[in-house]
Amino acid sequence: MDSVTTHPFLSFAPEMPQARADTREALEGFFQDFGFTGRGDLERLASWVLGPSHVGPSLLVRGRAAFVLVGGARWGADVLMREPRNLPEAWRRAVCESVPMAAPAEVPCQMREQVLVLNPFMELVRRWLRPDSRADVSPSR
Amino acid sequence: MNAEPYSPAMARPRRVMVLGLAALTTGFASVEMHRLLSARGTTVPELLVLALFTLCFAWIALSFWGGVAGFVQLVSNRRVPGLRWPTEAEAAGPLTRRTAVVMPIHNEDPASVFAHVQATYESVAATGLLEAFDFYVLSDSTRAEAWVAEELAWSELCRRVNGQGRIFYRRRSDNTGKKAGNLADFCERWGRRYDFLLVLDADSLMAGDSVVKMARLMELNPGAGILQVPPQNVGRSTLFARLQQFAGRMYGPIVAAGAAAWQLGDSNYWGHNAILRMAPFIEHCGLPVLPGQQPFGGHILSHDFVEAALMRRAGFTVWLVPELGGSYEQPPPDLLAYAQRDRRWCQGNLQHLGLVMAGGLHPMSRMHFLMGVMSYVASPLWLIFLVSGLFAALHEWFFSPVTLVDFQSTLPGGDAFDTAGALRLMAASLAMLWIPRLMGLGLVLADRAEAARMGGRFKLVLSVALEGVVSTLMAPVMMLFQSHFVFGTLLGYRVTWSSQQREDTDLPWSEAFRRHKWHMAVGVVLAALTVAVAPGMLAWLSPVILGLWLAPAISVYTARASLGLWAQRRGLFLIPEEVAPPAVLVRAQELSEEGLEPVDDALDHVLTDPRAHALHLALLEAHPTAGVPGALASARRKLLAGAVEPLSPQEKSAVLLDARTLSELRGRRLGVRA
Repeated sequence: MDSVTTHPFLSFAPEMPQARADTREALEGFFQDFGFTGRGDLERLASWVLGPSHVGPSLLVRGRAAFVLVGGARWGADVLMREPRNLPEAWRRAVCESVPMAAPAEVPCQMREQVLVLNPFMELVRRWLRPDSRADVSPSR
Repeated sequence: MNAEPYSPAMARPRRVMVLGLAALTTGFASVEMHRLLSARGTTVPELLVLALFTLCFAWIALSFWGGVAGFVQLVSNRRVPGLRWPTEAEAAGPLTRRTAVVMPIHNEDPASVFAHVQATYESVAATGLLEAFDFYVLSDSTRAEAWVAEELAWSELCRRVNGQGRIFYRRRSDNTGKKAGNLADFCERWGRRYDFLLVLDADSLMAGDSVVKMARLMELNPGAGILQVPPQNVGRSTLFARLQQFAGRMYGPIVAAGAAAWQLGDSNYWGHNAILRMAPFIEHCGLPVLPGQQPFGGHILSHDFVEAALMRRAGFTVWLVPELGGSYEQPPPDLLAYAQRDRRWCQGNLQHLGLVMAGGLHPMSRMHFLMGVMSYVASPLWLIFLVSGLFAALHEWFFSPVTLVDFQSTLPGGDAFDTAGALRLMAASLAMLWIPRLMGLGLVLADRAEAARMGGRFKLVLSVALEGVVSTLMAPVMMLFQSHFVFGTLLGYRVTWSSQQREDTDLPWSEAFRRHKWHMAVGVVLAALTVAVAPGMLAWLSPVILGLWLAPAISVYTARASLGLWAQRRGLFLIPEEVAPPAVLVRAQELSEEGLEPVDDALDHVLTDPRAHALHLALLEAHPTAGVPGALASARRKLLAGAVEPLSPQEKSAVLLDARTLSELRGRRLGVRA
């Protein structure tokens, strides 16, 4: 997920000259969290959320609400749950390439530690001299 | 193609020939040495000298006859018996078994690691048989920065080559058993999904067609447990590394062909660039933990020899297959990095002494253990031999009623010394060291195209001569280094497990003097003693004395990439892989140069970069790993209380293992920004 390109409809969002710089910065941070990195994209997203009549410090809450209300999560889930053939190929590939799959399912087994008698001759002597003593073998884990 | 299955009878005449000739040569040399030493009767110190000489000479005699076997093998241009090779139809068919290609790593440069994985992956893909392979990067990295950079590099690699579901990444936070434990962990979790396991090292690179041929040979030879393709040294620019690459390319084929020719199905495994049969590996090659403390007890460090021995004990054969080619690795960039690697290997090989007598092992496995030990112990033995020689001479002087003049007459250059006999013996020893080299040179000179790819015949001969001079000057320093490592191991020093230096960086003079000061001092003492006691020996010992005096300069100058590239431009020490590099090497080089986004602070990166944050949490979610509660608690206290005190590496790792803390911190950071 290097960058996310905004949809064309966002280009019709109104300009926002009066938005406060700190508010715009907060919104940009919010959208960066979703992978948007292009300066133009971030500005357009901020404009889309704020609208021309924005005032006040609670924009992050409004931004999150916008994401929820627009059904962003549902869209994402929809894409993930649909049959692959129903998705545009570019979408399918983008999603497949973005889902981290660090390792396949495990098939557990045990790699048993091999027991080696380190010196068979001394082992014979040991058995003869001290039958109850511990064998000179590699200990188990 | 050779359909006849391997049997010990196939190897017997070859082994009798090589080992018998080595024993015979050693016998002749020892008798001659005894004659030289016993000019005035034989003292106890002289007997010690004779015993040491016999041991050391046996080692070079075995190397020599192994080299001759390799030369004969290469000239005959025939494959060794016992392995079934594919027919043309079989070679063109699909692979029916699945192979896991694994690369265990530990705090390596992710750019280089993933460049090598990608180049190998693409090369396998180009064969059209990618479906039979999965790739795993098995990280044991303990540095948080390396860990996060690896995650990002892995994700980027998957995106680049569309490798989701075929290239995997797993990190252990617990490094039990080091590299062998890393591989065992893989086998216990995913091993049953595969028929074969192809092991790479962090700097390994393999051509796709070689990988496919290895898998196919394993399919066709169900009795084969391990196939080892000797890796060629490539890809470095320092003068030291280019000398190693050149020597490996010139003499390596003889050595490898020789070992393959007389060891056949009882060969050895070198730990990487090899393919193993998974089921018997899981069943029979779980490494024992040796009784006692390090350096001889505990986890086995050099796991490869032991795994080969266990595989052989289970009845599966182990093969060296140099003719496959397409197998590469990088040499250390300088003498000190080479010595550092040697130190690790030295302790690992000496640990095998405890296994030589172990019950049930094949005699050749015991021999591999002993040869591994001798490859390091030979240095202190030569050193003790030289010191004992001096001691024996002084002993004679002190305990015999002779004057200094009489005593000096018994030393080299003196009237009572059999100079001609000593020269004959020395010439024989030098010949045994040099003839395999000359055979390697002869083979290349006989192939006009190969000679042209190595700079042309004149430059080739010049390169061999220069390489011989430099390696002769380096030999005393390596002898002292290895002696130090052997004695250090015997005295109980432990080896710390650090990743190998793999960058071509200049070596500072201060570092060179610091590491070589004792070598220079030994050189000064040796020269002073020689002048005082036996000036006639000065000329004989001058290469040793010069090598020790010049050690810092040799280290510094050979560590320079500028000198290595200068020599390359003049056609010196060229290898064919530099003149006409194979596609996989070119690709790996291109990818390495592209580099990766640096991760200066792992925690900061995961908290500020949304991509790193999302990826890291997703990987934690997929493979939750228990952290260290104490370290996490103290890290949380520092971070959430806004303390300025920096986190310790353990605290940083603990935070990176805890998804809740990471989410909390990121939320706070975004909140602050808003």
